[in-house]
Formats: sequence, C-alpha cells, structure tokens
Amino acid sequence: MFTTGSKLFLGATGLSIAGAVVFAATTGGAEGWLGAVGLTTLAVVFAFLAGINLYTRDANVPALEPGVEHTAAAAQPAPHGSLWPLVAALGAGGIVVGLVSRPVVFKVSVIVLLAALVEWLVQAWSERASASASYNASIRRRLLNPLEFPILGALVLGVVVYGFSRIMLTAPKSAGRIIFIVIGAVVLFAGFLLASKRGLAKTTVAGVATLGAVALLGVGVVSAVQGQRTIDQHPELTSAVCLGTASAAQTAEIDHRASQAVAMKSSVAANIVLTKDNRLVAFVNGYPNVEFHELTVPRSAEVNVLFRNDSPTARRLTARLGTFKASDGTPGNEQASCTTKLRQGGQAFLSFRVVKPALASSSPYAFIIPGLDGQEIKLLVP
Amino acid sequence: MHRSGDNVSSLSATPQNRRRWPIAALVVGVGVVLGGCAKNAPQDTFRPAGSNSQRIDNLARPVFYIAGIVGVIVLSVITYCVIKFKDRGQDIPEQTHGNPKLEIALTILPAIILAAIAVPTVVTVFALDKKSDSQCVINVTGQQWWWEYDYTAGNCGGVEITAPIVTAGELVIPAHTNVLLRITSRDVIHSFWIPRLNGKRDAVPGRLSTLRMEASQPGIYTGQCTEFCGLSHARMRQAAVALDTNDFKTWVDNQLQAYKAPDPGSLAATGEATFLAQCSKCHQINGILKPDGTPSLAEPDLYEVSGAAPNLTNLMTRTAFAGWTFDLISDKCRNELWNAKPADFGALYLQGVWMDTPAGATTPVCFNEANLRSWLRNAPAMKPMFSDPTQLASTGGRYRGMPNLNLSEAQIDQLVAFLLERK
Repeated sequence: MFTTGSKLFLGATGLSIAGAVVFAATTGGAEGWLGAVGLTTLAVVFAFLAGINLYTRDANVPALEPGVEHTAAAAQPAPHGSLWPLVAALGAGGIVVGLVSRPVVFKVSVIVLLAALVEWLVQAWSERASASASYNASIRRRLLNPLEFPILGALVLGVVVYGFSRIMLTAPKSAGRIIFIVIGAVVLFAGFLLASKRGLAKTTVAGVATLGAVALLGVGVVSAVQGQRTIDQHPELTSAVCLGTASAAQTAEIDHRASQAVAMKSSVAANIVLTKDNRLVAFVNGYPNVEFHELTVPRSAEVNVLFRNDSPTARRLTARLGTFKASDGTPGNEQASCTTKLRQGGQAFLSFRVVKPALASSSPYAFIIPGLDGQEIKLLVP
Repeated sequence: MHRSGDNVSSLSATPQNRRRWPIAALVVGVGVVLGGCAKNAPQDTFRPAGSNSQRIDNLARPVFYIAGIVGVIVLSVITYCVIKFKDRGQDIPEQTHGNPKLEIALTILPAIILAAIAVPTVVTVFALDKKSDSQCVINVTGQQWWWEYDYTAGNCGGVEITAPIVTAGELVIPAHTNVLLRITSRDVIHSFWIPRLNGKRDAVPGRLSTLRMEASQPGIYTGQCTEFCGLSHARMRQAAVALDTNDFKTWVDNQLQAYKAPDPGSLAATGEATFLAQCSKCHQINGILKPDGTPSLAEPDLYEVSGAAPNLTNLMTRTAFAGWTFDLISDKCRNELWNAKPADFGALYLQGVWMDTPAGATTPVCFNEANLRSWLRNAPAMKPMFSDPTQLASTGGRYRGMPNLNLSEAQIDQLVAFLLERK
C-alpha cells in the first residue's frame, strides 16, 4: 500500500509531530509554542509530500504494463538542459561569500538559492509529469508564471527606478528638469510609434523595451560609479541663532539659504504676522480678523505655525521654548526654535513641540521677534 | 463512491430543495437587516442632534433614496434578464453589437443624476468646513487610547474662560453654540467621531484639522475612535456633553477652582501623599503641592510614548474614565442621566458622582467605586495596553497606557478617598 518514498515522508511526519509535542512540553513558554508551531508546520509539509508520493506511486512505472518502458513519462528524454543547478550553485557560493563579507550578499544569495531550488524542483517534476512535452511545459507555466511574472516585473521596475535615481543624483541640479522632459518625451514618442504601427512583431516591441531598459541601467551604473553631485547640507537653526547669541557669520549663512517658500499653508495652529508697523499678532482658525496675543497649545504634540513678515526689515520669528534643569539639577540653557530671517512678504513655517507645561520652565514660553522689543505672543502650555 | 456522489447531487437538486433556498436566503437577509435595529442606540447617525449632523442627514437621505431607486431598477432588470433568458437549451438569439441611442441615454442619465447630487453635496461640504462663525474653540488631542480636550483662554459661547482648562474623555460644550474643534494627535492617527453631532475627522500627528460641533439641546452624545490605532482602539471612546450656558459657566468655574487639599490627618490626605508618590509622575492635578511646597508637575513625556496622561484635576466631574471606557457612576445613575429631559440634564450632570446623594452625606450614592478600585488594582487587566515593564525595549522604556502599579489595598483605599475629592 505504502510506497518507499511515502514511507520516508510518513516517518518524517511522525517524527516532526513527536518532536513538536516533546519540544512544547519540555521548553514551555513562548519559545516552546514557537518551536511547536514550526515543527507542526514541518509535519504538514512532510505529510503533503507523503501524499504526493502515494498519489503518484513514487512515479514508478508499473512493471507489468506492456510496452510501458517506451511510453511512460519517466521514459521520455528531458526536453532540454537546465540552468537552475548552475544558479543554485551560484546562490550556495554566494552564501559562503556573504558570510565572510557583507550581510546583503548573504541575504541575496539565500533568495537566489531558494528561487533556483523551487524552479529546479518544479521543472524536474513537470518534465516527468506526462509523456507529452507540450503538456509538461504548460503545467510548469501554470505553476510558476503567476510567481515569476510579478517578481520579474518588480525586479525590472526596481532596476529602472534605481538606474534613473542614480542618473538624477549625478546630473547637475539644473539639468534635472531637462532630463525629465527628454526621457518623458522619448517614452511618449516611442509609445506613440509602437501603438500606431499595427501588427508590429512582439520581438520588435520587446527589443525596443529591452534596449531602453539596458540603456537606462547602463547610464545608471556609470552614474553610480561616478558618484553623487555635491548636495548642500543646510545648517541647523540652533537655539543660539534663534535667540541672537550665535556668531554673525553663522547666522548670515543660515539666513542666506532661506528659500522663503512654504509648502504647507493649511493645517496650522496659527498664522503669525509681523505687520508693516511692526506689531506681532496671531490669527487663529475660527476667529476671523481677531488678533491674538496669546496662544494655547497642547503639550507633547507637534505644533505648526505660519509666519509672515510684512515689515520692511528682514526678521525671523523665534519661539522661546523654556529653560529646564538637567536631571542632575544643573541649570540648562534656554531652548528655542525659529524661522530663517525673512524679507518683507516672506513666509516660513515653524514646527515645534513643547513637552513640559509652562510652570516647569524658568523662562517664559513666547513667540518673539529678535531685535524688536515689546512685541511678543504668549505661549500657554497647560 | 460513485453512488454516494450521485445521492448528494440528486438531493441538492430536488424541486423541494430548490424552493427552500429562496426562503432560507430571505430569512437570513431579514435577520441581517433586523440585526441593525436597536431600541436604544446612542450612536445612531440617523438621529441628528445638531445643525451639522442635520446637514449631513439632509444630504444623505435623498442621496440614499436616489441610490436605492437606481439600485432597485438595476437589480430588477438584471433579475428579469437572468430569469427570462436563462439557458433552457433554446437557440442562441441573434447577436448584435452597439446601440448608440441606448448608450448615449445611459451615459447622460447617470451624469445628470450625479450632477444633481453634486450640487447639494458641494454646498454641504463647504458649509461643514465653515469656521468664521465659531463661538468657541477647543483643542482636541488624541493619543493611545484616550482623548484630551483643552479649552483656550477666551470666550466660549458667551462664557469667559480665564485660564486654560485641560480635561479628558468628556468634551463639555455649551449647547446652541458653534464650537470649533481643532483636532490633532500625539502618536498615531486617530479619528474623532460623535455621530449625532457631526461626521468623523482624522487626528493626524503634526497636522491640525478642524471640525464644527453644535448640539441643539443639552444632553450626552457618545462616540468612539474610528481609525484603528492599536491594541485598545475599541476602548478609545468619547462623549460630548452639551450644557445650557448657565450650566456651562458653572462647569467652567468649577474647573478653574483652586486646588483644595484634603483635611490633614484624613484618609484622603494620606491618599494625596500616595498620589504624589505613585501617580503624579504622569498624571497632573493642578495646584497640588509636593511635600517641599513646590508645585507638582507631571512629566509624562518621560514615561509615556505619547508624552501625555489624563489630567485628573476634576476627575469626579466626569462620568467615565480610562478613555471613557469605564463608568465612574453606577448603572442606575447613568440611565437616569442619559434619559434625563434636556431641562434637567445640566443640573444632574454637574453633580457628577454626587448625583442623588442627600445633603450632608459623605459617600456619593452614584459613585461606581468598584470600577475605580479595579483600575487602580490592575489597569492593564481591564484595558489591554502596552504597559508590561519587561517588554518596553522597543519604546525606550516608555509605556502606552497605564502600567500595573502593584498598589496595596490600603493604598487603593487612600487613593479612592483622595480622588473622590477631585470634584
């Protein structure tokens, strides 16, 4: 009743179940359950393989069937050689290399080895599934194409995106928009040409697409080797700059880089304006045309305000965010956050978070304009 | 094997069985529909209790009727075609392709219906986004798994708030007043929803969204977080309590009252010390002083992922706690409060746990002491939270929610006595 192969797998199934029970009983806790689940899963896999062996009778040719040695699936020659053993060997070698070099090599090699093994096993099985080579090829496609196509598609897309990103990081900033326009135009034009030519051979379309992808990848590799262009690092707006205690050179450098552009104008806690006559006022959603000189904000939450400078002098908005003792009781420095210095009409976004109530600070919470006395908006943090 | 398969096949195809299927489907369908019915459904969106929810209702009903009629027509035609043209072995009818008149009609008709629906929809969207007529602004901040409300100093529906008020769980608002909620979050995305007063609004960290709210009469309107936000999302509830202007003023005045320390030597006084030792790291009670005479300031930013814990200054003025999940008042008193007439509601609500308590009595009749005791005994056992001190490596040692403080029964007695005076 039981074939040789099925006996092997049934034995393995029994051992796995026994192992799961023993492991769970002796180890206990979360680890015990985890191991038991793993071993039970293994038992299910072995049981499945045992079932396949039973169903196919170990793929043995019944000895008494006349002429079967010529017609049976097992008697048919393999349709072609297989590359998968080679790929699997590369994966196995990569694992060894990865173990002594970089983790990423190891991880990629494991994936390659697993993929090669799956492909190899399914191919070997499908080539013996029946005596018909075309049927065998079709069941291989049915099994593996749903896996292969999405994975290959994602890989190709990843390669294209990666190549393109390398190009954009290497090309000068000013050339970026031109590259975008040119590549977009080429893709659109090629798409139009291909779409307008009815009956175009599949191989031509595939050739053009491959050529484009290879070109992109090639230029991407060259760009990656060449390295990124120098990207300016914006200096940090420190409390010293905000409170006017930093050096003039450092402050000027930061303000020089101010873009004066604001991406997010909605969803702010308040719009703070320095008017033409140098009055600092806040406007709050829900109170149109009411000038606020006091704002309440929740503690430990990100707060965003939008500052606009309507005064003729370049100014920054500074949020004084308190002075706190360190954990050892030593006095700390005053914390502050601020915008860059804005010319007349300039706007900037200020985002900050206050984690302690105003009572915990030895200096007040407030919005101020450095260099402009008498103008402040109190910040209440209950 | 063959025979058994045939039997199954013949059984399922008998005319008697064929007649039973529609009846079974009808019974299941009616059951599902009736399952949605409830006598007392406090979160019923079809019972608007304010101008904003009424606007939504005024839009949703006609749209629902139109969609329903269209649905019935489409389903009827499909059903008719399925039955009429069922394959009974007849010849395949003549095959045709295209019917320009029909196609144009079936394009224009839905376009007209959609255009007609779009007009009131856009009007409603803009009306619900209006902020210029606000009479009160309240900050609403969500975190795992409770809501905090802070009232900015200023005028709120004719009542002057002289200093910020911070409370949790219950949003107290003046009735007949356009309240503007400014909603944000401290940790993950939540969604604020009081179905009978308005639609939902997401609370997104770093962003501030607004939501209009107006209650047409005093009462309690419940809701819950509607954006999955982690372990105890289902236990992140909230309520809006609408009060008449006079009652709202009384509530505001009470919230702003100075801290009153317990009588020296009382159980509550011992509870104050226990509170300072065990609870004040995260929970703030405004005005409470440390033994050295300096103000006690909670530092939830050091212990909580969200950086906040509910302010307990006037805990006993609320009817529920812990994300408005557990009642602070007994079932009987809750029913009495929830079913009170609008004219009587404010007076009852303002009594909090002291509702129905005779003058001079020291123990409140409505206090749900068992709930508070259970919470103090082992909070995570009542509400799942990320508060196991042995598993906080991923959060830098900070909790999501309240941990089990392993308080003794004596400490619980003291804390209950102390908290009972926070009214």
